[in-house]
Amino acid sequence: MGFARRFFARPATVFGSVVFLIIVIIALGSPLMFAHGPLSIVGMPLLPPGSPGFLAGSDVIGRDMAVGLAYGARISLLVGISSTCCAVGIGVLLGAIAGYYGGAVDDLLMRMTEFFQIIPAFVLLMVLVAFMQPSLGSAVIGIALITWPQVARVVRGQFLSLRSREFVEAARVIGMGDARIIFTQILPNALPPIVVISSMMVGNAILTESALSFLGLGDPNLMSWGSMIGSSRVAMWVAWWTTVLPGLCIVITVLALNFIGDGLNDALNPRRRR
Amino acid sequence: MLDRRAMLGAALAYPAQAWAVPKRTPGGRRIINAMMFEDPAHLNYPLSNTRIMQEICGNINESLLLFDWQFKPQPNLADSFEMSPDGLHYVFHLRRDVLWHDGVPFTAKDVAFSCGVMLPQLNPRSRASFSHIASIKTPDRYTVEFQLSQPFNAFLLSFMASSAPMMPAHIFEGTDFRTNPYNFKPIGTGPFKFADWKRGQHIHLTRNERYWRPGRPGMDEVYYRVCPTPEQRLVAMETGAVDIAMADDIDTIVTSRLLANPKLVTRTDAYNGTGEIAVMELNMRRWPFSDRRFRAAFLHAVDREFLVKAINFGMGKVAHGPIPSDAPYYDDKVLTKYPYDPARARALLDEMGCKPKLGGVRHRFGIMMIPDGGGYWTRNAQYIKQALAQVGLEVELEAVDWPTQLRRSGNWEFDCDCNSYGEYGDPAIGTSRFYLSGNIRKGVPLTNLQGYVNPEVDRLFNQAAVAVSRAEAQACYSRLQQILTHDVGMLWLYERKPVFIYNKRLKNVVMGPNGPSDGFGATELA
Amino acid sequence: MKFSYIAMRLVKTVLITAAVVLLSFFLIRAVPGDAATVMAGQAGYADEAYMKGLRAEYGLDQPLPVQLWRYVEKVAQGDLGTSYVRRQPVTAIILERLPNTLLLDAFALLVAAAGGIWLGSMAARRPGSAGDSAVTVLAMLFYAVPQFWLGMMMVLVFAVWFPLLPPFGIETMGADYTGLARVGDVVQHMILPGMTLALYFLASYARLTRTAMIDVADQDFVKTARAKGLTERQVARRHILRNALIPLVTYAGLQASILVGGSVLVENVFSWPGVGTLAFQAVQGRDNPLLLGIFIVTAVLVSLFNLITDIAYSIVDPRVELG
Repeated sequence: MGFARRFFARPATVFGSVVFLIIVIIALGSPLMFAHGPLSIVGMPLLPPGSPGFLAGSDVIGRDMAVGLAYGARISLLVGISSTCCAVGIGVLLGAIAGYYGGAVDDLLMRMTEFFQIIPAFVLLMVLVAFMQPSLGSAVIGIALITWPQVARVVRGQFLSLRSREFVEAARVIGMGDARIIFTQILPNALPPIVVISSMMVGNAILTESALSFLGLGDPNLMSWGSMIGSSRVAMWVAWWTTVLPGLCIVITVLALNFIGDGLNDALNPRRRR
Repeated sequence: MLDRRAMLGAALAYPAQAWAVPKRTPGGRRIINAMMFEDPAHLNYPLSNTRIMQEICGNINESLLLFDWQFKPQPNLADSFEMSPDGLHYVFHLRRDVLWHDGVPFTAKDVAFSCGVMLPQLNPRSRASFSHIASIKTPDRYTVEFQLSQPFNAFLLSFMASSAPMMPAHIFEGTDFRTNPYNFKPIGTGPFKFADWKRGQHIHLTRNERYWRPGRPGMDEVYYRVCPTPEQRLVAMETGAVDIAMADDIDTIVTSRLLANPKLVTRTDAYNGTGEIAVMELNMRRWPFSDRRFRAAFLHAVDREFLVKAINFGMGKVAHGPIPSDAPYYDDKVLTKYPYDPARARALLDEMGCKPKLGGVRHRFGIMMIPDGGGYWTRNAQYIKQALAQVGLEVELEAVDWPTQLRRSGNWEFDCDCNSYGEYGDPAIGTSRFYLSGNIRKGVPLTNLQGYVNPEVDRLFNQAAVAVSRAEAQACYSRLQQILTHDVGMLWLYERKPVFIYNKRLKNVVMGPNGPSDGFGATELA
Repeated sequence: MKFSYIAMRLVKTVLITAAVVLLSFFLIRAVPGDAATVMAGQAGYADEAYMKGLRAEYGLDQPLPVQLWRYVEKVAQGDLGTSYVRRQPVTAIILERLPNTLLLDAFALLVAAAGGIWLGSMAARRPGSAGDSAVTVLAMLFYAVPQFWLGMMMVLVFAVWFPLLPPFGIETMGADYTGLARVGDVVQHMILPGMTLALYFLASYARLTRTAMIDVADQDFVKTARAKGLTERQVARRHILRNALIPLVTYAGLQASILVGGSVLVENVFSWPGVGTLAFQAVQGRDNPLLLGIFIVTAVLVSLFNLITDIAYSIVDPRVELG
């Protein structure tokens, strides 16, 4: 298929896809891989990586870092993908309506996106998460709420240019309702840029979630890469691995997602130059 | 076992910071730099006695007596004192050359006001100690006579600066203590007086030129600098930007790094006067906490040796009862001990009817945490949660902020909370208040929050406090330790020996078991 | 330059700020946690009478629309209220910290722009080379690195392992340096957080410069310049770079806006006493007036930066007409 050929054109994309697949497998399979959960205290604290029984060492309270890293993948992927889905859902809906109908509705949407551009987004996120009490759900909702404007802008742009095309006119002539036109005619053609930015958004959502957990605004009962880094701020002075390893996991995951995004871009926008 | 040598070796491999540190005596002024997590709410120690206020006010306010390493009273603001043979009458002869920082002479009026009015009203420890006072007389400007309603053998020990600092009558008498503006610019008799307070930056104390001890203080200025995070405090000590790290300033995780530093001195005896035990308190008004078997099972389920060795990096000692092992009246022979034995814990829970239900959970309850930003309290709670899960007790850790912690603990809105209690020299001062049924007061923290009621214990504590002979007091306290440990009157986790670290450029920093609570009056450049 | 355009933009700024105030007011009031409880807790005791007094003092017992109107009134006069936690005027607190953030941001902007443009123009001159690929790879890497972790790695390398630079704060504590010594001290403290902030944007500048220069290099007027006999370097400097400035200026404006509102993480890692740290403390301490004040000040600054960017844009590219 042409899509697959274009997608895997670059070695970076292949690498990214493989790495991401491995991370997904680890995330899904972690309960089966380990006898104990990530929060279990199983040994002396601050053991260096390579200590007997502790491949990645132990953290400040004696937890197995390897288990924590594996379970952290679950959180990152869960929040990254869910929040992006929500943001895309909201953004597509609002962007489509604004782009299709134009006029006052469009103006309103543009003012809203401007509002989100001007206020400090991360501070707003902190306020939202504090309001909803820090948890997995509040992280997903909060991140979705601050990232939907970017989707909406793209969708709006697409709809603005597509709504005056011939196939839309034709659909109107045969009496199709607005809703059906939006969802069955225009949206499928507007999808490519949405798909491309989605993979970037998952990566950014993972970065944002880890930032929230780092500051202590993540789910207090779950272990994520960000919370591992956040709880090792002092320990780093005597045990570098408590901070370095979770961070490397984040970098590798987001990098893989970015490579996949590049591949999607190649596959869906073949006319764009490098 | 934690390999201390390996950690020390690792610590030595990290050299002390290289960037330039300024001269420590700019313009010839001799400065002590200490730290604090954040600004205290105010500087009126009796009003809300937190550790940092205790340490700052130790320089500003003094009490009638000082205590040496053997806990023997020495003259301070009181030049001499006598006690009547029946233990009911105490006379203190005050020094005549002491002035408050604003120049007003310190007289018996201030003592009468502090001990009779202000301290009992504000400070729970003083309230308990001074409740034994029947009357206070001031026959002349420099003599104070206390008449007690019954003998109280720990009466003299009440006069530590950390329990009963003398407060100026001419500033506080007749005012609303809570809103008095001098809470933010305190007046005392001590070696240093308040100079200025830049919120978010520092509290600055300066030399009291008219201090009554000749040759003291040995330094000119004291700064308490705001240093919010443990990493910042670590770097500050390593670079020498700060000279003193007190109690919990340095997280136990990185203490090894400072222990290895040749420029620093470490003392573990600076807080002997406090006699602190880290505990957990159960709300005994609720089942199953009301049953002693549950409490015993709790102690059996938690490996307190591991708690000390691993979670706290060896800094502490398992506590087996309400009185610390190196404090007076400790009696090891009578204690019922609860070693780590999860099987026994399960058996006890079965026996009392707390059996596993669907899913293997016997009981679900909450532990209210101390907001220490991920410090040792948080780690303790996380380990305990796991240990209890092994015996079928499911714990939810409740993260709260300080106002909520004080409110909920005071109003008994908790299942289990964490705390840390000091004996302050005598069980009658620091320990009894948690077990006396008369000290069950809703809305007031640092009281008998558990709701523990045992008339025998009440009787024994009261008897011990008024015992005339030491032997009699010892008999009472031995019996008390026997009863309380059998009853599991509280969940005693471990004795804390907070570490006190200071830079070698200073000497005479720790002069007695009360450490910084007695101030830095004697400190000099080395 | 059309002054009417500027005037219109300023009016727009005011309107958007008003919207920010309105929405933020209600949002932040919705956060649970009574301010009076927080303040009473700060003072060490919490009885009802005292808290009632606090509520009256701060007008918290008034109905919501009344509170809003009083607030808007004060904001129009430049009074952003009083912080619940610090008991000081919010305007004073923010103004005290704002220069620290702006200083750090300016440093980060300069380093990112200078470094990025240099790297990007080097890569553009030799497209497809190893150096070019390296720049691209580095850019990709920096997009994937969490800022707070990058900051901690800086601390790890430059303070824990090799004690070369101070990792926390803006000045050496208690040193009371003055004059040149103080400047040097602050610069030393600025390096690690500044580099952390800069590296992410540096990657973007490099890519933008590279792309813009490659695009421009193909255009007619450059070919003309080459035909006229100018050296490669002159061509690069005089023509290519100048025209590549447009996207760069846009990006600089974007970076400024992002930085002003978004340095919470870096300031947190390095304990930099700026507006970001203030915002975090305000969220934690439920200090609504302070939080609201930060929102407002940030909105105004970002709008101003956008305006300045647009003006600079029009200077750089005379083809662009404002309004």
